[in-house]
Amino acid sequence: MTPPNQFLLDAAQWLLFGAFASYLAAFLLYVSGTLGQRISGGTRFSRTPGHGTVANVIGVVLHGLAIVARWQGSGFWPTSNMYEFIGFMAFSSMLAFLVLHRMYRLYVLGALVTPVTIALLAYSYVFPPEVTPLIPALQSIWLPLHVSLAALGEGFFAVAFGAAMLYLLRVRGLELAQARARAAEEVAAGLEGAAPMQGAAPGAVAETRWERWERIVGIRLMEVVFYLILVILGFTVLALFFRYAGFEWIFNNGMSIYHLPPIIGPYGAEVGEHGSVLGIPLPTVVVPYGWRGKHLNTLLYSVVVGAVLYGFIRRFIARGRIGDALAVRVGGDPELLDEISYRAVAIGYPIFTLGGLIFAMIWAKEAWGRYWFWDPKETWALIAWLVYSAYLHFRITAGWEGRRSAWLAVLGFGVILFTLVGVNLLIVGLHSYAGGD
Amino acid sequence: MALLDRTWDFFASTKVASWIIIALAVASILGTLIEQESLYQDWRPPHLYYPDRYGEFWGNLFMKLGLTHTYSSVWYVALVLMLIVSLVICSLHRLVPLHRMLTRPQVWKLPHFLRKQQVVLETAGDLDQAEAKLKRAGYRIWRDRECLYAEKGRLSRYGPYILHIGLLVVGFAAFAKALPGWDEVRDVWIPDGQTVKVPGENFAITNHKFTMELYENGLPSLYATDASIIVDGEEVLRRTIEVNKPLSYGGWDIYQASWREEPGVAHLRLVEADTGQAVATIPFDLRDPAPEYAIEGTDLKLVVLTYLHDFILDPETNEPMNASYEVRNPVVFAEVATADGAEMVGRIALAMAGGQQAVYMGPYYLEVERVDSRWYTALKLHHDKTVPYMYFGLAIVFVGMLITFFIYHWQVWVREENGEILIGARAHKNRFALTREMKRLFGAPQGEGQSSNDTA
Repeated sequence: MTPPNQFLLDAAQWLLFGAFASYLAAFLLYVSGTLGQRISGGTRFSRTPGHGTVANVIGVVLHGLAIVARWQGSGFWPTSNMYEFIGFMAFSSMLAFLVLHRMYRLYVLGALVTPVTIALLAYSYVFPPEVTPLIPALQSIWLPLHVSLAALGEGFFAVAFGAAMLYLLRVRGLELAQARARAAEEVAAGLEGAAPMQGAAPGAVAETRWERWERIVGIRLMEVVFYLILVILGFTVLALFFRYAGFEWIFNNGMSIYHLPPIIGPYGAEVGEHGSVLGIPLPTVVVPYGWRGKHLNTLLYSVVVGAVLYGFIRRFIARGRIGDALAVRVGGDPELLDEISYRAVAIGYPIFTLGGLIFAMIWAKEAWGRYWFWDPKETWALIAWLVYSAYLHFRITAGWEGRRSAWLAVLGFGVILFTLVGVNLLIVGLHSYAGGD
Repeated sequence: MALLDRTWDFFASTKVASWIIIALAVASILGTLIEQESLYQDWRPPHLYYPDRYGEFWGNLFMKLGLTHTYSSVWYVALVLMLIVSLVICSLHRLVPLHRMLTRPQVWKLPHFLRKQQVVLETAGDLDQAEAKLKRAGYRIWRDRECLYAEKGRLSRYGPYILHIGLLVVGFAAFAKALPGWDEVRDVWIPDGQTVKVPGENFAITNHKFTMELYENGLPSLYATDASIIVDGEEVLRRTIEVNKPLSYGGWDIYQASWREEPGVAHLRLVEADTGQAVATIPFDLRDPAPEYAIEGTDLKLVVLTYLHDFILDPETNEPMNASYEVRNPVVFAEVATADGAEMVGRIALAMAGGQQAVYMGPYYLEVERVDSRWYTALKLHHDKTVPYMYFGLAIVFVGMLITFFIYHWQVWVREENGEILIGARAHKNRFALTREMKRLFGAPQGEGQSSNDTA
């Protein structure tokens, strides 16, 4: 094993910063471009989204160089801990976006996928970025093969998620526009003193009770999705703040170190052992044996911060449902978005199957003697695979194209994220070395 | 018969198949939320562990429902079998008509049919020109009177069925694990330099040396066993087994699984009590001491009367006994005798742990000079006959996926009417690329058929 080359490792950090800045610039360009075009009626900002793609290409090149620098600097392929892996997944989601962007040239998709990449990259900084040498179980050619291919497949699923979200928002936007047009017509008709139009407006098909129920649940679910996104974002910002501010609370002689103020303490700690803040003893409660206090503490913060952010945005920025506020501002042909989402799954699914399941099984056989253990992580990979399999089967079933399959693509990516992060936070298993904060 | 038909129709629906897949996903989630019998880290058996872990009521309920061994429970296996039945019936139900349709394409079609396709265009030209263009683009051509049919990527339509056949092989491999003798496991612990026979097999394994290396931060960097396979006392194979580098022999895969260090050989000094002079040093094996040791340079020998590797007095009978299997508190009770055993010279009792003094009677006593560690390597042997089937099945699955998702089946009908041609084309995947290709071949399409809806 080659000793770490500090110069290359530092270079990797700076390249990663460059990639981060490029993605951020791309996001702003996409958003200002699509919004600007819409507001100006297509007369201005026509080239801005294209510049966004240029920024993304620069970002992905810098990110690729960062991965190569870290690979050469540490002496092994950088997908061995959570910091490296989540960063790699951010890279692959951008790569997948660029592949699909080349096929379909839909700039508005960039406005939704680029923030996914940025969020993933930011989230990777929550984990300790030090190079950790490879334990014997990880010293295998299957580490790069299994992990990077799985991440690449997941990158395509991220794009499918972005396209599906955009599809759902766009359909909702069209619905809102139609409703508004109808209302305006009625007002106009009322002013002219004519009888209001009989029956439904042209184009609007009468919906059954079930469809109405489904539509309303969809609107609520969209808010739940935005809340969950804000939970992840809120947690990331909070964790980064406390980590880089250097806060630490040590329990049980260093067995457990908190970076967030401990409200829920680990087993064995005492209530109030770290003093109190604003009259609240730290920790306020201590978990019973067998529970993981630190992770519950993290979860508590995430849920609360997400709620605060959501409430704030809904009250002061969106002034209503976040989904509706976005829905009236996005563009794009829904049919094309549906196709892109499906296409992303169709490309990601074989890659994920090969990297996430087949290579995983071959490696498990080589390292542990059996190809399948029903370990939580591999079971969740199977669950994600099952969800996308169901997605592909439902798509050939009448009545499941469009909205319902878009929801399945959203759900599928949720399962992927849970597999990567949730399993490590909440469930223990063989993949424990991938554990994080 | 009606029931059979109804069952067939039920399983032939892709909607039902999708719901079975979703049900399987939900069932799998349950198994990850509740600790499984094979994975929990506790020495207690399930009927003691679960009531303690989840509470009396829930623990017993989980065990009754089979949730503590979800993936081998009756209902989970039943779901998997339902999925397999659905997979077979769905495939047969569709494959036969699909194959008939694909091998006997209908070439002659009414204009009405062509106008219903995804890409529709009308342009000047005749069938011969169209045929030449399509042929150059890689299409297979059929002609019938004023109509022409062209297609490419037909194989793509068979992809899902290839994939499903692969999944059947995978399913077979998974269930074959339950067959007797198809999935066998042995565990052996071998001390450095020793040979252990594999139980129930005709070969033994020698561990020449176990090696463990650490990084500077204390994490392990290498576990390796220098091992030989011994058959009938002869070495047939010698190799180093590492994590991720198992050794294969006679259908068995031999894995580096674990290791252990314990006190191995105590070097005991026999001291003459009066002078304090050491008479001899005896290598005393703490696992398997010899019954007696000859003392070099004298005509004496040390006879081991009693040896206990983890000495304790039985609280009931007050008899000495071993408290555990470990070498933790070795105690020897020995006697010094003349080499011919005719005369007893003295007796010694020595507890080796914790630097205790020997209790003795006679001119000699024993003391511990040093204790050498003994390293054990743990090897895990797997003989799994399902592996080739599993890998073969997975390979078919992957090939099926590539065919399904990366080959596109495109169909084009052309009809000649009054010196003009009407073209209708349909894609089973990637219609945007088909639209581009038709534009390239025949100029911009006049419109799209019914499947497009003007919501944008």
